[in-house]
Amino acid sequence: MFSDFIADFITEFTDLMEYVGILMPTLLSGAWVMVQLFCWTLILSLPLGLPIALGSNVRFWPVRAFCRFYVFVFRGTPLLLQLYFFYFLLPIQFDIRLPALATSIITFVLNYAAYFAEIYRGGINGIERGQYEAAKALGLSKTQTMIGIVLPQTMKIILPPVSNEAIVLVKDTALASAIGLGELMKASKGAVNRDVDPTAYFVVAVIYLIFTFILTLISNKLEKRFKRYDEGAVS
Amino acid sequence: MPRKKTNGNAVIRQDIKENLQAGDTILEMKNIIKKFEGITAVDGVNFSMKKGEIVAIIGPSGSGKSTFLRSINGLENITDGEIDLYGTTGMVFQHFNLFPHMTCLGNITYAPIKVNGVKKADIEKRAEELLELVGLADKRDVYPGQISGGQKQRIAIARALAMDPDIMLFDEPTSALDPEITGTVLSVMQKLAEQHMSMIIVTHEMQFAKNVADRVIFMNQGKIIEEGSPEQIFENPKSERLHEFLNAVTSR
Repeated sequence: MFSDFIADFITEFTDLMEYVGILMPTLLSGAWVMVQLFCWTLILSLPLGLPIALGSNVRFWPVRAFCRFYVFVFRGTPLLLQLYFFYFLLPIQFDIRLPALATSIITFVLNYAAYFAEIYRGGINGIERGQYEAAKALGLSKTQTMIGIVLPQTMKIILPPVSNEAIVLVKDTALASAIGLGELMKASKGAVNRDVDPTAYFVVAVIYLIFTFILTLISNKLEKRFKRYDEGAVS
Repeated sequence: MPRKKTNGNAVIRQDIKENLQAGDTILEMKNIIKKFEGITAVDGVNFSMKKGEIVAIIGPSGSGKSTFLRSINGLENITDGEIDLYGTTGMVFQHFNLFPHMTCLGNITYAPIKVNGVKKADIEKRAEELLELVGLADKRDVYPGQISGGQKQRIAIARALAMDPDIMLFDEPTSALDPEITGTVLSVMQKLAEQHMSMIIVTHEMQFAKNVADRVIFMNQGKIIEEGSPEQIFENPKSERLHEFLNAVTSR
């Protein structure tokens, strides 16, 4: 009895593994597209957020108004809508025909820059007035103060929300399937519809989890690094 | 190179003179007025000081003494008046304002390297001398978060001194400290006094003002009410208001 059960289980399991093996090339190529979208978005939107954050604080009102409006629009509308917008706007209005990946990267970068700008702005505003005063009393210029005093201290404050956004980004990449980008979600959906078998969704879930797990490890490591000058060792 | 800044009616001139002798005027301020949204924090103060002089400013909180001090180095933009500064200033704050992401050495060397373009090796040697002066040579590579308030303030003094200022401005340097450790900060300031550093000290430490200052200024409601030698101010106050203030402070 029991040995029959074991034998059944083993056959079922090997069948399953065989099926997963067949799915793997499609899913891995989807994962590769997802990784490209993820990396390009981070690499470009992390720096792009900084001028928008700084611009939101300047006295010259046209720059301030532009930066705040930018954040208002890109944070205030769905990413999916923005994807559709660029997908149709670029070819129809400007006759620019880009592959789905490029369109997705442009949209994601513009969207995430708005979120990062708000995180940076919060971090910069969290720096005490006394730091600016000390810098001014020592004769440091505004730029020197920003680069040498304010931004390095901001790092510690913004790291947790930035890594949180990075994890959200992993999952948001799935939205790009809506404009036909062959990333992980689209690859799995294709397999499920074709084979009428939800296994691909489980495999994809595991792949997403692996990515978010790696990101969590990296962000924990970075947080530890920035903790080195914390208060409280001796007081 | 003389620098001039104007802000409405206010004029601020900085003309650094290299060979200023002890006794030469180093700072001259005329009719300083500072208004904050209708409130007049500093109300027509005239002040001048000579190189090597040590001036203590006392007075109740809200008397405008910190605002007056902060107008000297531009941390407050004055509403009206004239400032002529013939040297550079360094400032020590009530809450230290050390840069928490730099070691003590980094705090001291950062501005000289960035602002004056001093070589790292040269300024590090000087920083070690300053750490020695404030008695914290062993805290060279420690972050400010890991030292006590009194130690932080002494590092802040070393940081200001590293820019070789001609006048040191102290804004209630011991007010945020536990009473039993104010002595360590005051003794560093005493050492500077002995080296004839020009200093303006806003303080609540009456005994220290009495012992160290050449001149004491009493401010109330944005005005200088009385000024004179420590003896005149503490032993022989003329105005009613100073009388009251000294009684209130000494009866604590």
